[in-house]
Amino acid sequence: MKLLLVEDDRELRVTLKEALAVEGYEVLTAASLADAMAQLAHAGHLDAVLLDLGLPDGDGEELLQALRRERSTPLIVISARQVEGQKIRLLDAGADDYLVKPFGIGELLARLRVALRHRGTVAQPAITMYRRAGLEVDLAAHRVRRDGADMRLTPTEFKLLARLVRQAGQVVTHRRLLADVWGADATEQTHYLRLYMGQLRAKLEVDPAEPCVLLTEPGVGYRIAEPG
Amino acid sequence: MMSRPLVQFLPWIATGSLMALAWVGWKLRQAWEGLRAAQRAAQLERALREFGDLMRDADQPEVHVHELLQALAGNTGFATAALLRPSPGAQDIVVGEPDANALAGLQLCADSGRALGPGTHHHAEEPDLYLPLRGRDAALGAVTLRGLGTQALPPDHLAHAQALCDQMGLALQRRRVQDEARLAGELAETQSTRNAMLAAISHDYRTPLATIMGSASALQTQGDRLTATQRSELAGRIVDETARLVRLTDNTLQLARLGAPGVALRCDWESAEEIVGAALRRVRRRPDGERVKARIEPGLPLLWCDAALMSQLLDNLVDNALKYSPATAPVELVVRRLGGEALFAVRDRGPGIDPAWRDRVFDAFQRGDLAAFAQRPPGSGVGLALCRAIAQAHEGSLSLRPRGHGGCSFELRLPLRDAPELPEAQA
Repeated sequence: MKLLLVEDDRELRVTLKEALAVEGYEVLTAASLADAMAQLAHAGHLDAVLLDLGLPDGDGEELLQALRRERSTPLIVISARQVEGQKIRLLDAGADDYLVKPFGIGELLARLRVALRHRGTVAQPAITMYRRAGLEVDLAAHRVRRDGADMRLTPTEFKLLARLVRQAGQVVTHRRLLADVWGADATEQTHYLRLYMGQLRAKLEVDPAEPCVLLTEPGVGYRIAEPG
Repeated sequence: MMSRPLVQFLPWIATGSLMALAWVGWKLRQAWEGLRAAQRAAQLERALREFGDLMRDADQPEVHVHELLQALAGNTGFATAALLRPSPGAQDIVVGEPDANALAGLQLCADSGRALGPGTHHHAEEPDLYLPLRGRDAALGAVTLRGLGTQALPPDHLAHAQALCDQMGLALQRRRVQDEARLAGELAETQSTRNAMLAAISHDYRTPLATIMGSASALQTQGDRLTATQRSELAGRIVDETARLVRLTDNTLQLARLGAPGVALRCDWESAEEIVGAALRRVRRRPDGERVKARIEPGLPLLWCDAALMSQLLDNLVDNALKYSPATAPVELVVRRLGGEALFAVRDRGPGIDPAWRDRVFDAFQRGDLAAFAQRPPGSGVGLALCRAIAQAHEGSLSLRPRGHGGCSFELRLPLRDAPELPEAQA
């Protein structure tokens, strides 16, 4: 597995590189936007990119845009900026995930595993079968089971659940969900989501008041927990 | 016999009578004019006194400039205009519609502090009269009476007009001094608040930093002499204290952001169940997180709020409740409807907070009183100040209530708004 790590702070770059190397990843590093663009052009196949935003010669967002024009390589933003608006914008622009500094290595590895599993494509879902905590979603067979019993979902509930399952483990923004489930003219109707997520939780969660499958990312979107 | 001399004297008598009449008339006229002058003087004096009263009570003298112009022009029909300089450095306020020439005259008059135009011995050939609004040491503006030409005001009128103008000038000056004093006071207060904040924040930062430094340097210098368990404990402490620093940093930055003018919340229709559910999920990762019990009234309407800020608020309150109450005591998170408001309560069974501190815990670290800061109750740092700022940014409130059998209840009240209609029975 070959990764490109773009981070201008030397200490953090070295620390992350070593931690990733221990897990068996081959890590290329870049300390500037120009360096990162050059590596992107010449390094051949990359399995994932870890991208810092505040680079000395520009914003990492440029690299995300350049990458997305050509490839669907998984990309995780690592940023010191804790701003929901920016998080949403980058996720909508094709970032797979957004980690706010500081973060633990364990969390980075978990997000990286999820991103690699999806390979950044929504068009070709890597997952059609989802299992977790007694819940079983079979997208191909259009079937949802809890503890072995078939659950009846309305078409909209199923569409919403399926959209989350296709990106299991990753945040899907409100906007994205509304556009994909209700259509492009419903992207401001966040209250639809509140209602249908509530209904889904009531049907699928063991304790709907304390969901452990259908998770809320406050101010950003929803995420279905990683299967397992 | 007797008539002759009379007839003889008739012309004299007539002349004398006429002279007497003329004299009486002249005297009468003199008296009349004296009376008129006295009346006019009294009128001017009254006008001066009334305008003086108006100026004395005026917080914003400049809004009365039209009264000044009216008093100056009276019914003469002369066009008037004014230029005001209420504060140094600020832009001039121009009243009326002076052309470029008149504006230049107003500026010259305000700069020099001297009257100019007809009857003033200074540019007396000009057709327009300019009078400065004199303060104690400089003019704070000027007014003009336009097109006087040869009809220069009589000296007493001119003096009266200047006196009116000076009352405006002095009032403007007084306001300027008050403004400067208030600004200086605010600056001093800001300075002292900022100093106290920096002292408090640096104190709050140093504690976890000390633990991190201690643990990391122990690993560095004694690593090979420590057992694996000890090493793992030290590493764990570094991670925990770093997380504490992260929260402190987030709180401090968020508080500074909310304090800035014109800050925009990212509000949306949010569900209380979801906000609490997400908070529970975060707290369950802590080893003591199981102590938190949540109770949400079913059927609560959606809330119009900034979900990220509400999460930060709940995290802080729950963190405090866990930290400052016995390790076995439950912490309750209750959400219910209370009239037109949603009530979020975080309740602990800790030692409670001294009554003297109940209203002050929310701003204990920004009081500018370092001695009081040293004695503040535990937990009343940046976190609580931020919680209250978040509540207020949502037009809600955050208060502290002591509980019946010990402990505190921190209560957030958020106003409920009419939620949007849901789509028609969509499947």
